Amino acid sequence: MLLSLDKTDTRPLHEQVAGALRRAIAEGECAPGDRLPSARDLSDALDINVNTALRALRGLRDEGLLEFRRGRGVTVAEGARPHSELQIRARELLDEAARLGYSRTDVIDMIRGLP
Amino acid sequence: MRDTTAARRTTAAVWTGGVTAVLAGMPLLARDRLPDRLATHWGLSGEAPDGSMPLWAASLVPALIWLVTAAAVTVPLMRAGPAARPWPTVTLLPMGIVLTGAQAAVVRANLDRADWHEARQPTAWVVAILVAAVLSGVAGWLLVTRLRATPDDATAPDGGAPALDIPKGRRMVWFSRTANPWLQLLAAAIGLVAVGALVALVGGLAEPGGLWALFAGCAAGSLACAVFSSVQARVSERGLEVSFGPLGWPGRRWAPGDIDTARMEVRRPSQVGGWGYRLSGLGTTVMLRAGECLVIRPRGRRSDFAVSIDDAERGAALLNALRTNRTGG
Repeated sequence: MLLSLDKTDTRPLHEQVAGALRRAIAEGECAPGDRLPSARDLSDALDINVNTALRALRGLRDEGLLEFRRGRGVTVAEGARPHSELQIRARELLDEAARLGYSRTDVIDMIRGLP
Repeated sequence: MRDTTAARRTTAAVWTGGVTAVLAGMPLLARDRLPDRLATHWGLSGEAPDGSMPLWAASLVPALIWLVTAAAVTVPLMRAGPAARPWPTVTLLPMGIVLTGAQAAVVRANLDRADWHEARQPTAWVVAILVAAVLSGVAGWLLVTRLRATPDDATAPDGGAPALDIPKGRRMVWFSRTANPWLQLLAAAIGLVAVGALVALVGGLAEPGGLWALFAGCAAGSLACAVFSSVQARVSERGLEVSFGPLGWPGRRWAPGDIDTARMEVRRPSQVGGWGYRLSGLGTTVMLRAGECLVIRPRGRRSDFAVSIDDAERGAALLNALRTNRTGG
């Protein structure tokens, strides 16, 4: 699995790591059931704090993309790929809206107003 | 290349056949001057023999030992390709000399004796045979490595190494892991035997002597299988890190600057001599399954390190990119 981080990115590090993992899942780098590197491995390789890596992994678990299993480590959840793509698109939508001057609530209202 | 391979095979076949003929033929040719049973074994202490064989067995047994060894050494290596070449020469040359010398010594010791009990230990022969075997082994090794040195350097895989484009301001890392469920199963099975032996020992159910050996052997075997049943590799700006087993220990690490080239190669267990941590003519290989291996040439070394792992091509490409970035700027 190939992960890539942008060194010039100004978002919080844990979001960047989560974004890189999300992209890897969406691009099929790791299939459902595959084991992910542990938080310690991730932090060593990316030269970040263990807690930052752990926070990224927990966030992805809460999105339903990852499963934490005792004794088997962190694995990619069943059907994670389409979910991951949807998550990425939702974030892109928010970024685009922010660029055009809409706030997060504006976007939510916009979605509510849709038929 | 084809010619030398054919020449090597012919040489190996002639050597194998020749030694077989000499081993089987010597006692038969001299049978008029030999007793019915030949003295074939002498103890360390006395001059008198303590083991004997009928003439036909003394003729066939060494020949069979030789043929089985020759087959065991050459058949797997025929499939292994040119890089694994030194071993047939280095094993078969001294082995043939030892067996031929031993057979000659046995025949000489029994010559013109009425009964095998009269045969005396051929001490001088034994010393001479051992010296000849060591010398021939060294000579074989020098010969083969000298012959190999020139073409090997020319074909050193440097051109065509894959490299990945790392966009500016990006940090890229590569993770991969491979496990062999059969080795895990084997480790568990041998581990169970070890635990069973330990329980029997603690419970005093059986004779301790043999059981301790069984326990120690099985425990070590199970541990070795478990360690080499899975492997994790990662490539980052810190270089290549490979760790074995479920605990990630032991492991090995190379900084990007310590690596000359990285590439992907398809290797099979038959090429490197089996599963696990193998040393062969191809260098060091950590072999879990046939297929893609990440192969690196550490700086200043003449042999490779390889580990069987999925997605090795991209790992090698990233490693090469990191290496050239490091040296380039």
